[in-house]
Amino acid sequence: MLDAHAIVLSPLETLVLNLSLLAIVAWSMWKAESSLDSGSSLTVLALMALFAVTGRVLLEPLPNVQPVTVIVLLVGIHYGATKSIGVATLVAIVSNLVLGHGLWTFYQALGWALIGVTGALLSQSLRIGEKISVPRVATLSFIAAFLFDWVVSISVLHSIPLESLPVYIMVGLPFDLAHGVGNVAFAAWLSEPLSEIMSRHSPKREVVVAPVKSST
Amino acid sequence: MCQVKVPVFVGADSVSYKLRLGSIVLLVVVIILLPFLQDSVNEKAARFVSDNESSHVGLPTEWNENQVICINFPEEYPHSVYSSGVTMIDTDGSIIGVNHDLNLTGACVGGFDGYTDGMDFMMDATRVAGGHLAVGYFVNPNWGEWIHTIGGLNEKEIEGDFNGAYWSLSHNGGYSMVGIGGLVMAEGDVISWNIATW
Repeated sequence: MLDAHAIVLSPLETLVLNLSLLAIVAWSMWKAESSLDSGSSLTVLALMALFAVTGRVLLEPLPNVQPVTVIVLLVGIHYGATKSIGVATLVAIVSNLVLGHGLWTFYQALGWALIGVTGALLSQSLRIGEKISVPRVATLSFIAAFLFDWVVSISVLHSIPLESLPVYIMVGLPFDLAHGVGNVAFAAWLSEPLSEIMSRHSPKREVVVAPVKSST
Repeated sequence: MCQVKVPVFVGADSVSYKLRLGSIVLLVVVIILLPFLQDSVNEKAARFVSDNESSHVGLPTEWNENQVICINFPEEYPHSVYSSGVTMIDTDGSIIGVNHDLNLTGACVGGFDGYTDGMDFMMDATRVAGGHLAVGYFVNPNWGEWIHTIGGLNEKEIEGDFNGAYWSLSHNGGYSMVGIGGLVMAEGDVISWNIATW
């Protein structure tokens, strides 16, 4: 709950407020991107990371529903493994400055990095021609939710014996499901617009320079 | 003239529209059903915890079939009242005795039965100590109830050569797979809280 100068907001009110803030962030970033020069891939990566961090923090009222997994996957598809690992690690660290930093930050970074690398490795399979395949990205992002959550669950081995891990993972299955379904929703809504932005600034894009005609 | 050939990611087709609508509906359904799913899974997880018989060792024999909660304080941060041995407190608040052989300090409150909800049990049982074991917590949408203070000791006050400290929950002597808010208790169960670090 958010305490705003003696006004205590309910969880639903907090969620509505946070969604409004996220919409403002998304709109301002979209406008900022449209004024960027083509090929500003690092700036776009920074915008993606910032949107992922903001989304994760503001969507905290929804259990395990956040856009980071899908964004890291898309970064892997468009910009490759190395940059997706960078974004994954950055997002985990910065968002945990708000949500709580600890040993789990390493495992979260590792989990998202693995998803980014998977996106990079499967980038050709996740496209139909040059168009991103939303159903394929959605399917992979659903699976990625479980992969990420189970990687993070490994961190509990610092506290419990290995034989208890299956029970620990079983207890988390409803949250894994929420993460997976949330990812499908983010993939359905974000894959195409974010792919368009990232491909517009992709360092891999093909630039054809035609001779400049003289006006005189 | 400068031409830039860029891969084209065109707007959503009918499959994407269906996926957008369907995914939102599904997400709402899952979020609504999540507490029920979690309760069901927690109940199944409770069957995997170790036998509660051995966890009664050191506790009053009259509690053998009853539910018990123990709070153990770190040596460096002893409780203001229960600082010597482990004080055994019955359901009416009376002190049964103090066990100095457990190599721990703190208090156990026991003799309860019929509780299935871990949080209800904890709040009712600690209340018996008349404020000496007062519990402070907040509710996180991802973790559920997070206990930060017991008996005046806030986890944030703990300092040492580590990143952080927290109140760790054990269920019948083993690390609890769920938080206190999701804990499903059986007759004779013993839960205990200790400070752990990471």
